Amino acid sequence: MARLIVMGGGVSGHTTATFAKKWLGKKHEVVVVTPNSNWNWIPSNIWVGVGQMKKEEVVFPLAPVYKKAGIDFRQAKAVSIHPDGKEGDTTPYITIEYTDADKAGQTEELTYDYLVNATGPKLNFDATPGLGNGEGQMGSHTVSVCTADHAVHANEELRKIFDKAKAGERQKILVGTGHGMCTCQGAAFEYIFNIEHEATAAGVRDMIDIKWISNESFMGDFGMGGLHMKVGGYVVSSKLFAESLFSERNVPWLIGAHVSKVEEGKAHYELLDGTTGVEEFDFAMLIPPFAGVGIKAYAKDGSDMTDKIFAPNAFMKVDADYTAKPYEEWRAADWPRTYQNPDYKNMFAAGIAFAPPHLISKPMKSVNGTPINPTPPRTGMPSGIIGKAVAHSVCDMIKNPDAKPHEASMAEMGAACVASAGKGLTTGTAAAMTVFPVVPDFETYPGTGRDTDYTFGEIGLAGHWIKHILHHLFIYKAKLKPGWTLVPE
Amino acid sequence: MSHEKNFQKEQFTLTMIPGGFAKKMRTCLIFQAFRFAVINIKMLVVVSKSH
Repeated sequence: MARLIVMGGGVSGHTTATFAKKWLGKKHEVVVVTPNSNWNWIPSNIWVGVGQMKKEEVVFPLAPVYKKAGIDFRQAKAVSIHPDGKEGDTTPYITIEYTDADKAGQTEELTYDYLVNATGPKLNFDATPGLGNGEGQMGSHTVSVCTADHAVHANEELRKIFDKAKAGERQKILVGTGHGMCTCQGAAFEYIFNIEHEATAAGVRDMIDIKWISNESFMGDFGMGGLHMKVGGYVVSSKLFAESLFSERNVPWLIGAHVSKVEEGKAHYELLDGTTGVEEFDFAMLIPPFAGVGIKAYAKDGSDMTDKIFAPNAFMKVDADYTAKPYEEWRAADWPRTYQNPDYKNMFAAGIAFAPPHLISKPMKSVNGTPINPTPPRTGMPSGIIGKAVAHSVCDMIKNPDAKPHEASMAEMGAACVASAGKGLTTGTAAAMTVFPVVPDFETYPGTGRDTDYTFGEIGLAGHWIKHILHHLFIYKAKLKPGWTLVPE
Repeated sequence: MSHEKNFQKEQFTLTMIPGGFAKKMRTCLIFQAFRFAVINIKMLVVVSKSH
């Protein structure tokens, strides 16, 4: 019997674990180690953040689902990896620290035959002074929608703003990225339009100034270097698409901005041209930068080899080309295909946990040398697809150690993104976008780097309906209800 | 033209803003039902090409 350990129970880890268990059956063991007791459909946190959904609608307990699937669930955080085992025993293992109420703080060693790192990101609030509380958690000056609990808190604070606006007190809302190296602009993008929609519905839009602040060097970069889509017979850049959305809603923007410090009601920033400024706010939702969760790696003799397994940003090294080279020399082939660690073939990283070879967007620095550019998105659909490919690889390797790993390069896969505003089936609206491939491939698609037949954006109710369907479909799938394998990632 | 109010004199906006017809089509149930089918088909193709 082989044992697969999946560290992380988010989109990627859950996909890996559930498919692996289905394909391996009872002959082999699948263990999931995740500090969270609930699974969270993160895209719908946006609706929680504006009070259109309850937390309970976007989360569900993992334990009963894993029990039904025959997966060994450990509510714990992974602390360290020991891929060569220890003195006298070469069996690889990880150490975990339990987080559930019954065993909180207890540690355990778990041996493995195959290991998948799908921990997702650490929300690195403390990278920006004042954005975090100095202890790794969100600070008190801003809100976030990165977790369901954060989103509940965001809505509570937002309602206070709406109440003040109703009372005739002019309010200022700031939404965007809280650091020069953030990713996940899409979540902030969706949140700002939901706030605008809710403020309009509440009749207080005229009393609220809403502003966008982002580390993108141009509107519509989205961490993917922007994209081009076919609209009305033209190939149009996402810059025009995004600026149009903001202008239509009378939301001004501040881009190329690194938020350097946050205080009560104030966000200090530096722009690409080196100038600095302060943006005042009554309510701010600023996305934190992501980093790896900080798992350590140790050699058999106990020496620290974290640098060998993980990149400096604490994401795990995989089969990417990490050679430092200028933007002009970046190629689609730099991106990983199998997500297998180059030193340990029984170790993979899936979803956000793998270290990208470089940015997708053109690297930018302010004249003062501060890097201000979005980092690559790996959330949602790519996370799911990578998780499934890794599950395939592990299952094949368990049956045949010489099996060739499956491939899922982000330069050969697309992604769908639906940024919805409002929740009503006839009153909401959405910007539905697909991009193919996520990482532009200028050799295969000279010009825009992408297939413009399948890279498109559209605004309307249709995208809004799709957002609703995706919400229910993916939660249905994650609960492993009948036919779950038929729902694509 | 109410939908053009955000092109303000003080801050010249270098982008496009939808007119009344484009806005109407965004919430036209018949047109959106058709677009729903088209977007779904395109997304399914993207999904199938990605696996």
